[in-house]
Amino acid sequence: MKRVIALLGAVPLLVVPAVAHSNVKHHDIELSATPQPVEVVPLPCFPSGRLTLGMTNAGRKPVVADMRVSGEDPLVLSRRQLSSYLPVEQLVTAPLDVTVPRGTAPGSFTVDLAVGRETHKASVVVKPVPPKGPGDNLLLGEQAVASSTHGNMKLCGGVDGNTDSEQWGASGWHDATKGVFPDTYGVDFTAPATVGRITLQTLDSARYPAAAMGVRDVDVRVRTGDTWTTVGQIRGNVQGLREVTFAPVAADSVQVVVLDSNDHGYSRIIELEAFSN
Amino acid sequence: MLSAARGLAAATATRRSFLSATGAAAALALTGTLPGLVPTGAPTPTNRPLFTLGVASGDPLPDAVVIWTRLAPGPLEPFGGLDDRPIDVDWEVAEDESFGRVVRRGKATARPEYAHSVHVDVRGLRSWRHYFYRFRARGQISPTGRTRTAPAPHDLPAMTLAVASCQAFYDGFYTAYQDVARRDHDVVLFLGDYIYEVGVGPTAGIRNQPVPIDFAGEIFTLDEYRARYALHKTDPDLQAAHAASAWVVTLDDHEVEGNWSGDISEDGLPEPEFLVRRANGFRAYWEHMPLRLDQSADGPSIRLHRHLRFGRTADLSVLDTRQFRDDQPGDGGWLPPDQVSQDPARTITGAEQEHWLLDTLRRSPSRWNVVAQQVAMAQLDRKTGPDLELPMDTWNGYAASRDRVLHGVRDRGVDNFVVLTGDLHRSVAADLRLDFSDPSAPVVGSEFVTTSISSGKDGVDVDATGRALLAENPHVKYQNVQRGYLSCRLDADRWTSQFRVVDKVTTRGGTPSTRASLVVENGRPGIHQV
Repeated sequence: MKRVIALLGAVPLLVVPAVAHSNVKHHDIELSATPQPVEVVPLPCFPSGRLTLGMTNAGRKPVVADMRVSGEDPLVLSRRQLSSYLPVEQLVTAPLDVTVPRGTAPGSFTVDLAVGRETHKASVVVKPVPPKGPGDNLLLGEQAVASSTHGNMKLCGGVDGNTDSEQWGASGWHDATKGVFPDTYGVDFTAPATVGRITLQTLDSARYPAAAMGVRDVDVRVRTGDTWTTVGQIRGNVQGLREVTFAPVAADSVQVVVLDSNDHGYSRIIELEAFSN
Repeated sequence: MLSAARGLAAATATRRSFLSATGAAAALALTGTLPGLVPTGAPTPTNRPLFTLGVASGDPLPDAVVIWTRLAPGPLEPFGGLDDRPIDVDWEVAEDESFGRVVRRGKATARPEYAHSVHVDVRGLRSWRHYFYRFRARGQISPTGRTRTAPAPHDLPAMTLAVASCQAFYDGFYTAYQDVARRDHDVVLFLGDYIYEVGVGPTAGIRNQPVPIDFAGEIFTLDEYRARYALHKTDPDLQAAHAASAWVVTLDDHEVEGNWSGDISEDGLPEPEFLVRRANGFRAYWEHMPLRLDQSADGPSIRLHRHLRFGRTADLSVLDTRQFRDDQPGDGGWLPPDQVSQDPARTITGAEQEHWLLDTLRRSPSRWNVVAQQVAMAQLDRKTGPDLELPMDTWNGYAASRDRVLHGVRDRGVDNFVVLTGDLHRSVAADLRLDFSDPSAPVVGSEFVTTSISSGKDGVDVDATGRALLAENPHVKYQNVQRGYLSCRLDADRWTSQFRVVDKVTTRGGTPSTRASLVVENGRPGIHQV
């Protein structure tokens, strides 16, 4: 004890600053956002508007910068911060995905970027919802519902409007339960819709042909109230595109029930579409 | 002065009373009870708990230790839930856990540019004794941490070490850390993969706990690395282990990117982009670890290889086998040795660190010469028969580097050489021979590889690789593939490594036990079973 008191008397209480670095001058940082404007559609599974945020250090020394990202209501942003080490004169980028809630009226909105006093504004244009009349795909961008979704895939991948199997990794859907069937994938409508034709596109690329990797046995069904009605059965499929037509019904949901796939592993869907006739 | 034995007994007593006041559950109690400083009412943006990430201490010297915390009222939110103003933080260090005998106190600043982290290098402490520390900010008191300074330079007390690595958040609960905190360890060594850079699913794997969608992707930017550390540090068992002992840490690959080597990205990022990512990973690492300023990142560079002396009991050389290495042979998987892995020009440490290491070992006056590092040094052949198949991301892919170190150890007369390793998600104990192909070659040291805390889920006692390792490598004395850590005790006569394993980590409440206890005797190279 004595020794401690002596130490306390002899040595002033020591404070070591947490950092010993010079202050960063943020006015040397150039902010950017591309493309301009970015467009979004107020549907839950429509591809989001993707901005590439950028910071370029125009100063003489490397710095670390913290960017605050904020958006005008009703924009929903995938990130509200972008921090990075910035070497001199090297553009450093990161993605920002922008979405808006269903029902948002068309208009222009602003995303604000700020590093210290340096600010930058990016424009987001909310587009009208695509028409859902006769001949239009009723499922486009609507909220998908699946029995499960693999961690590498997106739940929305089967209703995002992208039918290109070559872009499978970015734009397809499959389940998370390898070798376990059935798997289900579909859409619950927000209001009943008249459906008379359903098309199912399974993975069918040059590298992964449908005959090897696509869905094989599928029941196609619609729900009215609490009642599911099977409107088509596909068996032994080896093609990329299959279509089912039936007497139009007012449906609350559209769903495919995948009973098996050609590799007996996953249920792979690049796009599911439904039409009134 | 206390004898070594009495010192340990006193430490254990201190430990027990500390745990009774600040055990794992209490580590989440975020406000203290100083008169007049208790916040009241429901949390608001301004009085939400600040000390959500616990406290830590590290890199003990005979008269100093680093104490750490980070203020984060919203640990998983942007900027930890704080604005860009600095926050004043008071700290104090006491001899007793009720802070009746405060020996040091002071003020620090939690700066936004360092994610509101606080690193205080507390000096003027007495050697080889326990201290208690805490922080105060905006009227809130942090949990109390306990730490211990290093022994005085000429003392040779018995000491205890825990050795841990690889704590994938989504693969398991940190039950092993409850055991680390419960048993009395003077120092905890963490040898890499504190975080993983890959995405954490919406329910955090086996944890079944909601995690914001922001955590779903692989991380590249500084805000993403910061958030990943914050996620891990919300775990109460990890907080308890930090609060119970001083930690000495180094990083491996996943603190940046799986299997990165020097300036080379294994994801194929161009070098300028990879160096930005590496700088971001390094920066967030320092911000979240109890390290001195000497170890802070300077852009894409960080100095983590360093030397700590524990009296004459142990000299500890901490290595960085990532930043200065040549690229791995192949993809770093298990491969036959080839011209690349045998190339005498290749290095896993870099020339400067290799020279520093051998020089440091040469100067050591200590009983135990300990190297704390990332990847397996002993030859580990898993192919049945005369052909070899070796893990190329380890020293096995840098055979000449290993030869230079092991021959250097022999040539400099370094005795009682012990290498501590992580990475493998597997416990291994192996003799280090000058020539692994010759079972009669001299043994120059021993290697203890700690298994993962959680990475790899529950694991098994022995798998096909484990059977092959035991059958093909006469120098390998033990292996196990369960989760856990190494609990070591070293004194003047003996090094004892207890391989602590947990029967399950994918559910809460796993039971820790000692799977094996292996010994190295002073002056007698080689590992022995007790």
